[in-house]
Amino acid sequence: MKAFGDIWRSNLFQKWLMAITGLFLVLFLLGHLSGNLLVFLGQAHINEYAHGLRTMGHGAVLWGARIGLLTFFILHVASAITLSRRNRQARPQKYARVEARSSTLASRTMLYSGLLLITYVLYHLAHFTWGAVHAQHYAQATFILPSGELVPDVYTMVVKSFSEPLITVLYLLSMVMVGLHLNHAIASAFQTLGVTNRRIVPLVRTIGPALSILIALGFSAVPLAIILGLVKI
Amino acid sequence: MNLRLHIWRQAGPNDTGMLKTYDLANVSEHMSFLEMLDVLNEELIAKGEIPVAFDHDCREGICGTCGMVINGRPHGPLARTTACQLHMRTFKDGDEIYIEPWRAKAFPVLRDLVVDRGSFDRIIQKGGFVSVNTGNAQDGNTIPIGKPDADRAMDAAACIGCGACVAACPNSSAMLFTAAKIGHLASLPQGQAERSSRAMNMVLQMDTEGFGACTNHYECEAACPKGISAEFIAQMNRDFVASALGGKG
Amino acid sequence: MELNSALPGGPIQQRWDKHRAELKLVNPANKRKFSVIVVGTGLAGASASATLAELGYNVQAFTYHDSARRAHSIAAQGGINAAKNYQNDGDSVWRLFYDTVKGGDFRARESNVYRLAQVSVNIIDQCVAQGVPFAREYGGYLSNRSFGGAQVSRTFYAKGQTGQQLLLGAYQALMRQVGLGKVKLHNKQEMMDLIVVDGRARGIVTRDLVTGVVRSHMADAVILATGGYGNVFYLSTNAKACNVTATYRAHKRGALFANPCYTQIHPTCIPQSGDYQSKLTLMSESLRNDGRIWVPKTKGDHRSPDQIPESDRDYYLERKYPSFGNLSPRDIASRAAKEVCDEGRGVGPGGLGVYLDFSDAIRRLGEKAIADRYGNLFEMYERITGENPYKVPMRIYPAVHYTMGGLWVDYNLMSNVPGLFVLGEANFSDHGANRLGASALMQGLADGYFVIPYTIGGYLAQGGLAAVSSEGAEAQQAVKDAEQKIQTLLSIGGKRSPDSFHRELGKIMWDKCGMARNESGLKEALQRIPELREEFWQNLVVPGSGTELNQSLERGLRVADFLEFAELMCFDALQRNESCGGHFREEYQTEDGEALRNDDDYCYVAAWEHTGVGNTPTLHKEPLSFENVKLATRSYK
Repeated sequence: MKAFGDIWRSNLFQKWLMAITGLFLVLFLLGHLSGNLLVFLGQAHINEYAHGLRTMGHGAVLWGARIGLLTFFILHVASAITLSRRNRQARPQKYARVEARSSTLASRTMLYSGLLLITYVLYHLAHFTWGAVHAQHYAQATFILPSGELVPDVYTMVVKSFSEPLITVLYLLSMVMVGLHLNHAIASAFQTLGVTNRRIVPLVRTIGPALSILIALGFSAVPLAIILGLVKI
Repeated sequence: MNLRLHIWRQAGPNDTGMLKTYDLANVSEHMSFLEMLDVLNEELIAKGEIPVAFDHDCREGICGTCGMVINGRPHGPLARTTACQLHMRTFKDGDEIYIEPWRAKAFPVLRDLVVDRGSFDRIIQKGGFVSVNTGNAQDGNTIPIGKPDADRAMDAAACIGCGACVAACPNSSAMLFTAAKIGHLASLPQGQAERSSRAMNMVLQMDTEGFGACTNHYECEAACPKGISAEFIAQMNRDFVASALGGKG
Repeated sequence: MELNSALPGGPIQQRWDKHRAELKLVNPANKRKFSVIVVGTGLAGASASATLAELGYNVQAFTYHDSARRAHSIAAQGGINAAKNYQNDGDSVWRLFYDTVKGGDFRARESNVYRLAQVSVNIIDQCVAQGVPFAREYGGYLSNRSFGGAQVSRTFYAKGQTGQQLLLGAYQALMRQVGLGKVKLHNKQEMMDLIVVDGRARGIVTRDLVTGVVRSHMADAVILATGGYGNVFYLSTNAKACNVTATYRAHKRGALFANPCYTQIHPTCIPQSGDYQSKLTLMSESLRNDGRIWVPKTKGDHRSPDQIPESDRDYYLERKYPSFGNLSPRDIASRAAKEVCDEGRGVGPGGLGVYLDFSDAIRRLGEKAIADRYGNLFEMYERITGENPYKVPMRIYPAVHYTMGGLWVDYNLMSNVPGLFVLGEANFSDHGANRLGASALMQGLADGYFVIPYTIGGYLAQGGLAAVSSEGAEAQQAVKDAEQKIQTLLSIGGKRSPDSFHRELGKIMWDKCGMARNESGLKEALQRIPELREEFWQNLVVPGSGTELNQSLERGLRVADFLEFAELMCFDALQRNESCGGHFREEYQTEDGEALRNDDDYCYVAAWEHTGVGNTPTLHKEPLSFENVKLATRSYK
């Protein structure tokens, strides 16, 4: 029997790790997206939702989720770096000519789209969570919920942010990157986890890319609506 | 037809190697690709030069010995065709053709287009078999095997071990080769007893040999001269995880 | 020299059992003290190496390929015979034995053939247990097809890749033993010579094809499983690297070569397309189950096949051999094709081809059923010729495919050199003058899995094997001889490549010692071969050096042996004044052109002793007796 360490270090286990963590991150994105779309229901809905997230279980749930998310994220990135390094080493001498047959732009650029997404996530956190950039949109606004509680006004913050074309363009470009990454990632994760077979391969290979487009469009909907003036304060 | 060939020349494993250009005239469209190289080699010998070393044997697409990357594709432009079965009618007068060896750390170049694929043998040694000594067997019809299972096993077992999957993979991964053997034996009742340890040991040996990991581009499937499906890779992934979690491997 | 074939007596059904019971055994604990060299990793070599290692012997296996899986057994398409009688169609060990003796035109040993038929059933069981994916019926039971020369369905198959699957089974068994450390596998090593010490085979000399290092390997016994010599014709269905060197070197060291003139010409190959042709491609004989062979009735009919009405077609096999028809044995079908082409009725470029037509079968069974059976073969045909055989009839022509002759062996598969065993196509023993379809795989695996494991024990248990080493005089001399030969080849510095000599030799052999032979042609060949050999040693050019991967050198060394061996074949064909099986002498035929055997004078195995290059070899005869199958004219009418 093999020791767990040997299994952990193996390429296939690292891939499995990447796939599992990746799928959890996709689930998170779906949750995040459904929250975002509350913007369209109006100021009260989204502010109430954001307040609920922060106070659920006296904040323990939010922190639990954050720690879990961070762990998945680190594992996902770490396995990606490990595997990419090994994959490079596996072909020390490149071909003079290569003609791809079945790989796609998305599949060939996973490392790059992934690295850009890390940068984006840091920016995004600095923007909305830490308030370290564009802070003028962040700290001041407050909102009184129908219950009478005074809470941060997420709605105003979002709308004011995306009223600036530069920020909107940055976010939209990032969403293209998300779409590109997921375009290959979702179907690929299913294959790596081995849940595909002859019958469902075509299904997975259709649903994966379709879902990636939906997610990217969904996230883009909010900034687009704001810059087009469909959502305003 | 007249062709311009750019062929990888490398005198030995430690030589750096480079692409060299050769012009070849009067190539018949009925020649196989390897026969075209034979003709080139006879010309080189006549000129007192060293002929191009390339691996080949059966020349009917089954032994898996031949293999070269032709214009960026292992075994050349046709799907499901080995280099020896590729005929010059696929090319046209005036074409430039790039010919390179399989490129992978686990397939070191021995000379020109010849690589060492011993790593494949060592993967098989880790479990690509049923442990049955000669004489152990019961009557062949004792265990009925449904036609779909038998056919599926055959689909996987059709692998010729040529290495095109590794050559095509951007990561030089041997997943399709290894999965084909695991999938073949996992499809049959005979292969069940060692299924778990087989998946574990063969997968770990791929890493030891220095093959890369799979990123699901499916270039292997597209390059495979026997059309082996990447579905078998999914099955191997499943068997590997089951083995890792089941603690039997 | 007395040829002792060590045949057991008694009723034929009991001979193998009795013989096994009488063979001496090596104690299990002592087996690891014996080492065995196996040269070749095809069906016979891989199965022998794996099985001997399972028993506990120390095995050293050698192959000139980069992997043991590449041997040419892999290319066998059609299937493997076994007397299972799963189809309930009247098959039995006796019938397989009978068919094989008759198919071999009464030039094989009855005892050997009976044993082959007996163990055929064990082979299928063993292969199934290994996971060989034989074709199955929907109920899950093994499927069979019929094959040329038989009236029962006894052929097991795995699509059109039976040889591949059987070889991979043996290869995997071998890899298992390599992994366990019981077999030391030497890839990319070519055997250069046999080392004989005190009259026994004790080792081999090899050349490392990557580094060029020449060295000796010593053991208690040597097994050659190095295949046939069909490439003496240059164009054949054999793989490019197949050669006679291992067996011919053993022959030069004293082993007798038996029946070298028996060569099988396979009737269904793709015709040659040009001078650059490097090999011929076989289309499995199983195609003859559903394809009908025909040529136009009249000479010079150049209409396209679909324009030729039924009434103008000659289905000559069905006409001449009504009971076997398109399934007539290979030698007969090949000769019939040559005959119609000689009459000028051949089709395709050069008139060297006949049609193999599937239109009736497609009409009867549908295109899907045909694709299911032969899809991969049809694809291969289209890839090579650019024609679609679902629409246009295939064109086929006979080509050299298998050699029944080989090193002489006794019932234990041991040559006249003690300790030298020969298995598979490399020996001469089971197929007589003609091999039936699907019997080569059977013989290779029978020898490797079920015969040699017993008989080698009998030899080793006799003892008397002195210690030997690579330092010994014989080993050192053999290494020096091999190095010398390599140096000589490299230093000729002439003008012609090894391939150009090989092509020329092949042409001589095909014209004079091919499908039909005659005295004056053979005598002419015996004059031209030494001349060509002379030129070879004067005018050969081998670029590069001996201390690197040098494919021209590999070819040069092989062609040098073919140039000597070809002469031996012609001597054998010349002395056999009869026609039998794959050996057709034009002087000896019936009025309607059938082979005319001469049992009174030629019912023997011709075993040749080497007497020096250029000298006439000495003929030894092993008489054949037929106690169980009555000598009769082989008729498939």
